[in-house]
Amino acid sequence: MRAANWKIIVVFLLSLSLGCDENLNTQPTDTLTPEQLLEDPINLDKTLIGAYAVAESLQGEYQTMTELLANEADLAYRGLFPELFELDRKIVTAGNSFIRFFWFQSYASINLCNIVLDNLDLEEDGDIRAQLEGEAKFLRALQYFEMVRFFALPFEVNAANSQLGLPLVLDGVTDLSEVTYPGRSNVDEVYSQVIADLQDAYAMLPDNNGNRADRYAALAILARVYLQQGDFQAARDAAHAVLLNSGHTLAPNLISAFNNESDGVEDIFAVQVTTQSGRNNFNLFWATFEFGGRYQTAEITIEPPFFEIFDSPDDRAEFFYEGNGTTVTSKWQERFANVPFIRISEMHLIRAECNFREGTSLGFSSEDEINALRLRSGADPIVGITLEDILNERYKELAFEGQRLHDAKRLKEDIAGIAYDADQLVMPIPQDEIEVNPNLEQNPGYNN
Amino acid sequence: MITASKFLLLLVLFFSLYPTQAQQITVRGTVKDNFDIPLLGANILIEGTRRGTATDSDGVYQILAAEGERLVISYLGFISQRIIAGSGDTFDVILQPGNDLEEVIVIGYGTSSRKALTDNVAPINSEQIKEIPVASVQGALVGKAAGVQVTQVGGRAEGGFKIRVRGVATISGNQEPLYVLDGVPLSKSDVSINESPINDLVSLNPADIASIDILKDASAAAIYGSRGTNGVVLITTKSGQQGKTRFSFNSAYGWSEASNKRDWLNTSEYVELYTEAALNSGFTEDDAASYFNLYAQDEADWREGRVDTDWQDLALVSGSVKDINFSVSGGDEKTTLFLSTGYNNTNGIIRGNTLERYSLRVNMDHKANDWLTLGLNSNLSKTQLSRIANDFDFANPMQSIAQIPFTRPYSDDGITPNTSTLYFNFLMNEFNGEHESNIWRAFAKLYTQIDFTRNLYLRTEFGYDFTTQLEERFFGSLTQEASTNGFGDALDDKEENFVINNFIQYQFAREKWQLEATLGMSYEELLVKSVFVEGRDFPSDQLRKLVSAGEITGGGTLEQTVSLVSYFARANATLFDRWLLKASIRVDGSSRFGADSKYGTFPAASLGWLASNEPFLQDNKAISNLKLRANWGITGNANTNPFASRTEFSTTIYDNEAGFFLNRLGDPELSWEKTEQFNIGLDLGIFNNRLNASFDYYDKYTDGLLNEVPIPATNGIRSVVRNIAEIQNTGFEWVLDATNISAKNFSWNMTLNLAFNSNEVKVLPDGADISRGTRIVREGETVASFYLVEYAGVDPDNGDALFYLNTELPDGSLDRSTTNDFNAASRRVLGNPFPDVIGGFTNSFRYHGIDFSFTFQGEWGAQLYNGGGIYQSTNADFFDNQTRDQLNRWQQPGDITNVPQARLFGANGSQRSSRYLEDSDFIRLRNLTLGYTLPFGITERIGMDRIRFYFTGVNLLTITDYSGWDPESTADSTQLNSASSGFVFYSPPQARTLTFGINLDF
Repeated sequence: MRAANWKIIVVFLLSLSLGCDENLNTQPTDTLTPEQLLEDPINLDKTLIGAYAVAESLQGEYQTMTELLANEADLAYRGLFPELFELDRKIVTAGNSFIRFFWFQSYASINLCNIVLDNLDLEEDGDIRAQLEGEAKFLRALQYFEMVRFFALPFEVNAANSQLGLPLVLDGVTDLSEVTYPGRSNVDEVYSQVIADLQDAYAMLPDNNGNRADRYAALAILARVYLQQGDFQAARDAAHAVLLNSGHTLAPNLISAFNNESDGVEDIFAVQVTTQSGRNNFNLFWATFEFGGRYQTAEITIEPPFFEIFDSPDDRAEFFYEGNGTTVTSKWQERFANVPFIRISEMHLIRAECNFREGTSLGFSSEDEINALRLRSGADPIVGITLEDILNERYKELAFEGQRLHDAKRLKEDIAGIAYDADQLVMPIPQDEIEVNPNLEQNPGYNN
Repeated sequence: MITASKFLLLLVLFFSLYPTQAQQITVRGTVKDNFDIPLLGANILIEGTRRGTATDSDGVYQILAAEGERLVISYLGFISQRIIAGSGDTFDVILQPGNDLEEVIVIGYGTSSRKALTDNVAPINSEQIKEIPVASVQGALVGKAAGVQVTQVGGRAEGGFKIRVRGVATISGNQEPLYVLDGVPLSKSDVSINESPINDLVSLNPADIASIDILKDASAAAIYGSRGTNGVVLITTKSGQQGKTRFSFNSAYGWSEASNKRDWLNTSEYVELYTEAALNSGFTEDDAASYFNLYAQDEADWREGRVDTDWQDLALVSGSVKDINFSVSGGDEKTTLFLSTGYNNTNGIIRGNTLERYSLRVNMDHKANDWLTLGLNSNLSKTQLSRIANDFDFANPMQSIAQIPFTRPYSDDGITPNTSTLYFNFLMNEFNGEHESNIWRAFAKLYTQIDFTRNLYLRTEFGYDFTTQLEERFFGSLTQEASTNGFGDALDDKEENFVINNFIQYQFAREKWQLEATLGMSYEELLVKSVFVEGRDFPSDQLRKLVSAGEITGGGTLEQTVSLVSYFARANATLFDRWLLKASIRVDGSSRFGADSKYGTFPAASLGWLASNEPFLQDNKAISNLKLRANWGITGNANTNPFASRTEFSTTIYDNEAGFFLNRLGDPELSWEKTEQFNIGLDLGIFNNRLNASFDYYDKYTDGLLNEVPIPATNGIRSVVRNIAEIQNTGFEWVLDATNISAKNFSWNMTLNLAFNSNEVKVLPDGADISRGTRIVREGETVASFYLVEYAGVDPDNGDALFYLNTELPDGSLDRSTTNDFNAASRRVLGNPFPDVIGGFTNSFRYHGIDFSFTFQGEWGAQLYNGGGIYQSTNADFFDNQTRDQLNRWQQPGDITNVPQARLFGANGSQRSSRYLEDSDFIRLRNLTLGYTLPFGITERIGMDRIRFYFTGVNLLTITDYSGWDPESTADSTQLNSASSGFVFYSPPQARTLTFGINLDF
């Protein structure tokens, strides 16, 4: 009896431990492998959404870095990030983690664009395929453009532009075997790629693409690229085409051009921010604590020298609020508002500048066009306009939005006594990246 | 599996045929200590069997034994004695204190004794850990075991611990040891809503612990196979004692404060330094005044020094500890029971940090009949925490030391925190927010043990460990979340860990040899499910639950399963009382690895020679024990992300639409980290084991290290986890244990342990450095070495900060000339965060009823990098308040100092350089206890067995040149990654605690 008892128990207990091996195959519940992802063409679109989400060029932190690098006395950096201090003081180190993050996130987003482009064949519907291709190329070009202006010597008009540019990665990586160690293409090659991508995007994207980039967004960025290259004719024509066909017009007043929860009439392309998604780092750095920033004063405040540029009453000189005794811009006062990335007013400014330089008056004369912009902000009209007037107007209108550095470089202006093409104004390739990729050459002036 | 089960079954059947028989007599007597006090709960065990009993409160025992059988009488902390049944029937025994060779040591799936052990296991018994009123189990281990570095990450009451056994053998894998509670491996993951880890064992009441055994070398840890590399910490809780039911009541109350504070500038010093800094940077005095006015409520606040706020005193407050335990232990020959309930209330030394724990334990053993024993170990606990922001958060109270001293902490009403501060005023989070965490944990282990014969048993254990942790945060409309109109989030995490252990053990003893064999399997499954939700726009700061949120802005659920199937076998043999042999093997199959590498095999073997039992030493009066040991084994470290071998896309959101991004490039060949460890050792006992010494040398070589191998970010991913590097740890360990005096009414015991470890990266792919930020992994160097530009002090002529160029010259030497251009200097390896030497020194004295003990711990040879240095000590580079040593700044040509000229916004030496790297050597009086036990005669009269009053101090004294808060405190949210060890960032110091308590036994 006893023997029978325990034998039964032994068998029972041991049987409990049977069949455990099958339980070793657990699967994650919140991720997909590349094979799973690429089973369904709809995921190409979802991957593009990921590319938008990751793109650091869109988030405001990058623009903030360029504004601080271009700053002479108009801005004061009052935050505590040494990374941003370095930029403000023009003594950037190769270990700067903000710059590293910008580099990394940009290439992460570019990789997602490349994955979409590599797998377009999955999508059988031609219209959707064209849209996917156009949008992926738009995002890729936009990011290469921002990076080449940050990490390389400026584009020089009528030159070979063989100075070091960026590693141009055009194939997606979804497997360890696809990892590459690219060297830097030259500036000319990067610009050529950017222009080719944007031209494709312009050709393929629809007139209207909801809140995402449409063909006029591609064309507007193209106008920026041409302007940066000093190709005034092409810039003018691109800006003109956007003004003519995009349907975007100047907002009735400055206030309504900013802090909009959905895209305003002036937004050719705006970064979508909601309470649940998207980041508005302009708000983080340029607003006070009360409105989403970190401090009682904003991290970056606007100082008296900025206001010397105004020559008449002007809403743009009033678009500020007070933060603990300092002056703070109102452009990003709402934490969950969309962030304008390219506004129609910039197209007016490009067309006016290029008309002036080329002696043409496509659309309007430059004087009329500038005065229309001034009128919107309640400024007195100018008679007998000069290039300087146009460039000042450009600064007043686009102040703090991330154009200042690039304008200084194309206009070959010193910044705080530093030559436009000095080592100090070309940002270092992140230290980590140099160490891991022997084919990558560091910019001069960064030894550690 | 099926085959293994059948094999087990066959083995059971085979051994069950072995005949059993018994011819028994009764042996009885008393057991007392050298103070002539009866010992309650002394163990009487018949050698070679598991039959035994224990003494009652009068020290009386009685047991049935066969004639000729040897009885071993043992008590914790005393030297065992043997008697032979049949040579009389009454044996009164007096035990002498000392290091006992018969002491039971838990080794995983069974026990061993110190005498039979051939592996390096550090046993820590309840005598050594009791009455240290720390809220955490690990706190009691500090300085107690050779080669085991135990460090609390910071001064938070619930803060995580780092335990490093014999150095660090991984780069990016987990470095923590495996905890095994009553035979059940714990695999709770760390979940914390703000990345500041919560101690895994916070729910466990230290008073319930009977012993902790740390398996240090590979031969010992290999029985836990793929999880053995970082060492295994076996925790055994108390079980009931036969005889009179014994009630025990312990209560302690104490006070605590920060063990160290640093000196910061006061208002007049701040104004002086910053005015000078402004002038040196081309500003005027008026400019400086206007800056000051931004942060001062009133100009007089700084000009006349009317406000002088010590922000450090606002952050580091006085705390308190309240600890109450009540336990009942009793039972008869069939059933024993241990019941305990405990309450701990710790008010931390950091403002807003509290811990409250309620626990209930039932441990029960029942002998159903002569072949079946069953039992239950169970624990229920609730831990309630008020938490504070992590070290990196602006709201971390410690970061308030950056605030300017002339800034008022509160507004005029004296209650509402002032909002016009340089940085966010952390007081607001206490005033207008909260962060609470509740942890409920239920643990149960049920076992049955079937004795087929006297020599063979089968033990089956079911373990179930369930934790539910709810963390809730609320940030009101005045906090850093002001722009959201109130923000709240909550994380509800549920984890269950289910474990089955099945093993049979066969014991066989003959005069010339003994054999013990174990064969078994185990299955473990961890299931994690969690829910997260966040919302904003609260109608009132009084309504703090998310039900009141106007908008739910985020949420989600997560699930993860990890499973492990294992088979193991172990055999020990003792031959001629001289030779000790052991071999074991474990095969682990884990869901963490890809199909090709699911299974790993972890063998171990060891050999011991009891030279003292050889004829030529047997009669030696001085040498009572001499054992030589050698062992070898392979262990693994599997504690990596469960899906690290997969290439994966994760989800993200843009414009409220879900999208994918590439989260990981996986290496399909990813496999186990394997460590091969060789250990030789020597145990020496002289003068009847009054003096014991142990010496061990180990060589721990880890192959196939899981490492985040950086790849160019141009591939869209920055690193890939691969098995790539090899690391070697070698070291010596010394333990000296002496009973200096053992007289009637006076005894003195002393234990000293010292461990030397050296860590070297042996092989990297293509020999290439892996560096990130301020760290480097380089062949020939210690893992995670500090890689920095070297600070060279100050140019006496102009006050510029200088750096050594350190560029390599053509002849291979370094250019030691200096530069003031940071970017011109090259980085060098300048230190590492792992100590070369760690040690502990414990003394305990007893004189009549008085007991006195203290433990010193020390660490030497490590460095710490203060990540906050670039804000705290930068000769007034920015407005952050400065450490007081910055007053030694350069002021005029010829000044010789290490602090450069003060230049506001001047970046004069404020870069990340070795200026912020410091040696962290220290010696610390970890604890000191003074107790008094009333004479037995008095206590007996009032019906008590024992009354003891005591005082304990923790961290009373720290001797160090380190200038930071605490040489043991490092940043909390990076603690698990060895690549960022030794990084300090506004990390709070540990508490100094003074406690008074009483023990009552009746």
